[in-house]
Amino acid sequence: MSPRHHPSEDRLLSYAAGTGTPGADLVIAAHVGACRQCRDAVALAEAVGGALLDALPPAPMSDDALALALARIERPANAPAPKRAPAEPDWIEVPEPVLHAARRKRRWAAPGVWVAPIGRGPGGARSYLLRVGAGMSVPRHTHRGAELVCVLKGAFSDRGGLYEPGDFSESDESVEHMPTVTPEGECVCLICADGALVPRDWVGRFFQPFVRI
Amino acid sequence: MRDPGTAMTLGVGETTGVRMARLIQAIAARGERDAFSALFEHFAPRVKSYLLRLGASPELAEEIAQETLLTVWRRAAAFDPARAAASTWIFTIARNLRIDAARRANRPIALDDPSDVAPSPISPDLVLAAVQDEARIGAAIATLPEEQSQVIQLAFFSDKPHSQIADELSLPLGTVKSRLRLAMARLRILLGEAR
Repeated sequence: MSPRHHPSEDRLLSYAAGTGTPGADLVIAAHVGACRQCRDAVALAEAVGGALLDALPPAPMSDDALALALARIERPANAPAPKRAPAEPDWIEVPEPVLHAARRKRRWAAPGVWVAPIGRGPGGARSYLLRVGAGMSVPRHTHRGAELVCVLKGAFSDRGGLYEPGDFSESDESVEHMPTVTPEGECVCLICADGALVPRDWVGRFFQPFVRI
Repeated sequence: MRDPGTAMTLGVGETTGVRMARLIQAIAARGERDAFSALFEHFAPRVKSYLLRLGASPELAEEIAQETLLTVWRRAAAFDPARAAASTWIFTIARNLRIDAARRANRPIALDDPSDVAPSPISPDLVLAAVQDEARIGAAIATLPEEQSQVIQLAFFSDKPHSQIADELSLPLGTVKSRLRLAMARLRILLGEAR
């Protein structure tokens, strides 16, 4: 089934132009991998990038540039495709660093909850995986800056919407919510957040020091 | 005498885009160095120009332009003209090399395990919609109203968040976003009709 919640056109455009942040690119890449419609949007934007590139006034290369390049090429070797780590069962396809974090960085943060840090981007934005058990809620919270989420496995409901594998969600400080995992099974999400969550109730305030997201 | 099997054969009325695609195919099929030289002469200075616009130093711009064309040579067999124009494919290679270079330089994603290599999150082989013909894409871009083509140019050629582009144009962020959205929607209609 194809995802029903998508990134904004300008997120897709930054991704295609290569001007997004590393953390945002990772979340968008996961969504785009699962979403034909957004793959097409990215392909269109890349074609626009190609046409713009082609129309640029050429900047002269140094005199020996072509000779240097010719000295460096050989007959193209049909290099085998790079080996990919086997995917996680029941997950949508994700980029390599995500799988790596999932296997080697998991830490149980609270009953039913694990977190796997992936890395930090410019301005301290944090990328991580979050697993929440069936039927559980993330304590009511808001955000500092933007938070991008892509569902990798399972589903959660939030503000009247249902988010299933491949679905994308973006929130910011104007959003206060309490996403709840559906009762059918655990939910794993890839998240990039500019800042830490801001808990809005005592449960969250109690848990945050342990979960550290 | 021309050998009809080589890339250097120019069909009557063949567009630059078609010719460039054939050059890449000649590299893939036969490792033709002449085809590589012709591609290099066309694209390397444009890739350099692209990088300079995005704020790269002349040395880095030249190096990435070199590396882009060398990648074209090595990966020529992966090029599929049914899915992407030559310029699109080369744009994605240059874009990814630029991202890799930026991430190596200031390590903005400080991976928690130093043995990790930050890979490009972007596959250069994304499925293409209806856009293999750059002449057609260029013509479609040319029909955009000035205010839309300006923000599209900035989205590709300025390494700034859209919020900063908005500040520099003295426009609300919402206006910049809606112009981008309108521009892409219009291009989708124009190019979608080509299907």
